[in-house]
Amino acid sequence: MTDTTKTPTPENTAPATTAPRGPLPLPTAAARALLLAGGLATLASTFLAWTWTSEFPGDLTVYGYPGGLQWLTFTAGLLTTLFTLASYQVRGLRWLLPAGNNTPLLLTAVGAFGVTWFTILAIAIELGGLVNLEPGGWIAAVASLLPLLGALALPPATATSGTGSTGGTKETIKAYVAKPEHIPAAQPLNGWAQRLIITAVTALGLAVFTYGIDTEYGELFIGYLIVVVFAVWALHTAGLLDRFSRLVAANRGFTLAMGFAAAIAFPFTQTDDHYANIGVNILIFGTVALGLNIVVGLAGLLDLGYVAFLGVGAYTAALVSGSEFSKFSGVQFPFWAAALTGMAASLVFGVLIGAPTLRLRGDYLAIVTLGFGEIFRIAVNNMDGQSGPDVTNGPNGIPSIPDLKLFGFNFGNPHDLGGFTLGRFANYYLLMVLIMAIVVLVYTRAADSRIGRSWIAIREDETAATAMGINGFRVKLIAFALGASLAGLAGTVSAHVTYSVVPTPYQFAGSTPPNSAFLLAAVVLGGMGTVAGPLLGAALLYLLPEKLDFLQDKSLLAFGIALILLMRFRPEGIIANRRRQLEFHETGQLDIPDTPTLTGEPAVTTKAGA
Amino acid sequence: MNTLPQQLANGLLLGSMYGLIAIGYTMVYGIVQLINFAHGEIFMTGAFGALTVYAYILPHGTSMWAAVPLMLIGGAIVAVLVAVGAERFAYRPLRQAPRLAPLITAIGLSLALQEVVRNFYPGADKARSFPSLDTTHDLGAVTIKDADIFLIIAAIVCMSSLAYFVRKSRTGRAMQATAQDPDTAQLMGIDTNRIIVIAFAIGGLFAAVAAVSYGLKYGNVDYRMGFLMGLKAFTAAVLGGIGNIYGAMLGGVVLGIAETLASAYINNIPGMQQLGGQSWANVWAFCLLILVLLLRPQGLLGERVADRA
Amino acid sequence: MTTMTTPVLQASGVTMRFGGLTAVRSVDFTVNTGEIVGLIGPNGAGKTTFFNCLTGLYVPTEGTVTYKGTVLPPKPHLVTKAGIARTFQNIRLFANMTVLENVLVGRHTRTKEGLWSALLRGPGFRKAEKASEERAMELLDFVGLAAKRDHLARNLPYGEQRKLEIARALASEPGLLLLDEPTAGMNPQETRATEELVFAIRDKGIAVLVIEHDMRFIFNLCDRVAVLVQGEKLVEGTSDVVQADERVVAAYLGEPFEGDPGTAETADVAAAETGAAPQSSTTSTKGEAQ
Repeated sequence: MTDTTKTPTPENTAPATTAPRGPLPLPTAAARALLLAGGLATLASTFLAWTWTSEFPGDLTVYGYPGGLQWLTFTAGLLTTLFTLASYQVRGLRWLLPAGNNTPLLLTAVGAFGVTWFTILAIAIELGGLVNLEPGGWIAAVASLLPLLGALALPPATATSGTGSTGGTKETIKAYVAKPEHIPAAQPLNGWAQRLIITAVTALGLAVFTYGIDTEYGELFIGYLIVVVFAVWALHTAGLLDRFSRLVAANRGFTLAMGFAAAIAFPFTQTDDHYANIGVNILIFGTVALGLNIVVGLAGLLDLGYVAFLGVGAYTAALVSGSEFSKFSGVQFPFWAAALTGMAASLVFGVLIGAPTLRLRGDYLAIVTLGFGEIFRIAVNNMDGQSGPDVTNGPNGIPSIPDLKLFGFNFGNPHDLGGFTLGRFANYYLLMVLIMAIVVLVYTRAADSRIGRSWIAIREDETAATAMGINGFRVKLIAFALGASLAGLAGTVSAHVTYSVVPTPYQFAGSTPPNSAFLLAAVVLGGMGTVAGPLLGAALLYLLPEKLDFLQDKSLLAFGIALILLMRFRPEGIIANRRRQLEFHETGQLDIPDTPTLTGEPAVTTKAGA
Repeated sequence: MNTLPQQLANGLLLGSMYGLIAIGYTMVYGIVQLINFAHGEIFMTGAFGALTVYAYILPHGTSMWAAVPLMLIGGAIVAVLVAVGAERFAYRPLRQAPRLAPLITAIGLSLALQEVVRNFYPGADKARSFPSLDTTHDLGAVTIKDADIFLIIAAIVCMSSLAYFVRKSRTGRAMQATAQDPDTAQLMGIDTNRIIVIAFAIGGLFAAVAAVSYGLKYGNVDYRMGFLMGLKAFTAAVLGGIGNIYGAMLGGVVLGIAETLASAYINNIPGMQQLGGQSWANVWAFCLLILVLLLRPQGLLGERVADRA
Repeated sequence: MTTMTTPVLQASGVTMRFGGLTAVRSVDFTVNTGEIVGLIGPNGAGKTTFFNCLTGLYVPTEGTVTYKGTVLPPKPHLVTKAGIARTFQNIRLFANMTVLENVLVGRHTRTKEGLWSALLRGPGFRKAEKASEERAMELLDFVGLAAKRDHLARNLPYGEQRKLEIARALASEPGLLLLDEPTAGMNPQETRATEELVFAIRDKGIAVLVIEHDMRFIFNLCDRVAVLVQGEKLVEGTSDVVQADERVVAAYLGEPFEGDPGTAETADVAAAETGAAPQSSTTSTKGEAQ
């Protein structure tokens, strides 16, 4: 799509005498050759055996085809090779590098190196020494190092973004991972081609996500994270994510539909209901995080007891579910009625908490919601008939919640659908997709309306908003109550998914999601004020402790530190809302309104905060 | 044991502890309008600092007369270092950031401090025993322990020296000026950064005193003790009028007494038989907070700080 | 003065006390339809306090302010709804919203689509959004910012931010527009352009009350000027009358006052405008001060 001609362009291979060079003294041509050779060698090495025993998970002992972590090395090596070929201007691959910069090469090389060396080291450490490596392992280690060396010999940035890497190490590193400021616009595509691309990307996204959920052992998940992080980062710096988000912006409805199609397709790709269970938990967590995002991201109200609203919904649903352990065991509401009751109960609590506090400064809300979360936990713990009224059955909770039945469809039984068997969790998963769709719809529609604008205005400058005639208290209360009732809705489903409700998940902090701290972390990590951010954040925060057992004990510590570092260095989260980004970083650059992007660009060149 | 005077005394004691912690919230808030959520955890680290001195530094069998002052010093050093470190590395870089940023940082800090203690302090994942002063004195209507006497004396000493400091010392006056108007204060040559650090340090110091009293009184400490105590101390600060140091102590005492009376007598009220006792005390404390915010958001001694809706 | 017009805004006997300090003392003041009225006075004369009494930020200790015959409600958002719009001395745009969105927020009081209609997106909602957008674009056209509708407000140059603030205020379809030092920080050309804009606003039938330091701007612009000194109205009249009045000259050039109420007031205003607590008192202080 770049309209440059044959032979390497001047901007890529300017004469070595004048052009800046990487830290390694190699001619540019040689560096590039090294990248290509190394990339291909890495690919080849995955067909060899890396270790002699199948004790290391994934069986890396086979010659002839890759297995387990080797597939990840293969993927990363393939990306390196493709980007290198694109930098050679190979016909048909040029679109990979619209800006012609070297950063994606470096990042994919680091990814390949990282996952390969991680694997090699994991083999050596777990099996007790380097002797456990087969020659193939050594070859892979060396092969994956070559592209890295090659990439480090290339100049850090393209000619367009300047040459000055004279600053300290920090600046040099920044220059290496910077995204070019200008990404040439893509050739206009017709509508069908655009939709085809979106479909393909969605399918790819589903495949990547499914792979992540289905990883069977911690090593594989870490390798997966290494590859995905560097690959996405490389695509971002290559400018491809920007291009894609322009496509998305032009086909918003279609993308949304594809997104939900992909979400619906997920259980059909699963043979084991266990993974559908993970899926449904991520969805519940993500949906609640999205609800919290209305409160925190749009209206700027810090709600630290949000999970209590989920709890209110869950307990309400449990009480009217017909469970024999419920206080009202005779009562069994149909699902729609239970959902509405759960929402209404959460709404009532939301208003009770919000009404006195939302007139005051935001800090008070934070602490009162924190207190409310605590009251909720204490109250449900105590209402066992001994130390309080008999309502919630105390710490034992309400077990044996029957499965949902909708239109004669029992969610508890497996169902066959077009040759696929959908288990219990897959059924609930699909129900949660529906509920998430509702929440996404509520979020996007509310955000883009009179009420949404007044939330943002209040968040931006309450005095000015009031002077524009906005009743701050009223609109804040609406945001707060809306957030509460959406959490209540998610809670009603979660009660049925988990068979029982107990007080433990509904507290401020705990080692597994959902709890208020995790929810907040999901929103902040993913990106406040975006739709995709909290969902991504929730998926990550759910999968990390789920997949990495050794982290379990330290996960809260890690999240605490992560929150501090995020606020300090990237307060807008992984997926930045353009507005938020500008709010947090004084970039001073002019925005370019005619090229809207879905994902913001990280302000790598500016300092966060003050 | 359950007489009204005894309950009042219990409430007063509990309340002075809240008040000592609340000072930290209120001073920091008065100067930088920041709710330092992690203050409860600073209190907790103070307790573990003091415990470290007793359990790992002092020889076994040191008399409590010698141990308590040294534990106070140990606790104070840890709590002040944590408080000042939090200000320097977590809050200061965010001083110009949107309001949400320091609040979220505070949550992160609070989690991180709890988890550091839980993961790395030997045996801290469960309650660890703390030397207690259990000798009781019968004063007629009320019975109190040595730890209670320590707490009362510590609270009085701390409050009066703080009052003297704020009123009389140069730094104290600079603090008042900074609280009124940080920009002007800076123009007048006051090093506002220093003032802010001092506010955090005093908060840490008082939290450490409260932490030692807590340990001596209850005989054990754990990594979660800061969460609820911090929340209640904040409630106390709001109750008294946040930003006002006397308000913090008054709020603490009112909250302590209200909570004690509620847990002792609320089950005598018809219809609320099952809502009394220690397990519901926290619920009543928070109900009081919400009630105060509803009726008198500026607190007992505070000026109006409410936004007009 | 010359013609009999109906009063839009009528302040009678407005007194504002802060504790023992009287910032504004029994001020009578009227703005009629189709008028541009100026309010001037030396620093700390009580202009801003008086202004805040008009916008509902303060409730006068004594006296009343009526808008078209009804007493002003005591809440700023209700005042705006009643028909008085304002701008701020130190521009307060919604910096991270686009130019168009800023003006749409200004439409808040004249639209009523709530959460439900936003969620259901019925035809009524679409119609209202479309009408709002059209109206907003008209206003942007009026101030000359139509081309920049999708820029973020923070990225506009200073002069355009002022214009945008005026457009945002006009979006609430006010009968009276209050401009708080609209030319602060402007060069002569920009000031001139603002003058034109204010005339154009008046020609739309909106009464304008301007608070300013810049005397030349005021005297060029206003049909009538009132001078506030030490919280009291010193003179009121046409530009010529006011300019000729010795007391005004003395107040501006002459001796600074003892016990100048200004200091306290400016501090108040500064506190009110830091955004943390737009309230009459400063945020509560350490127990000491009182």
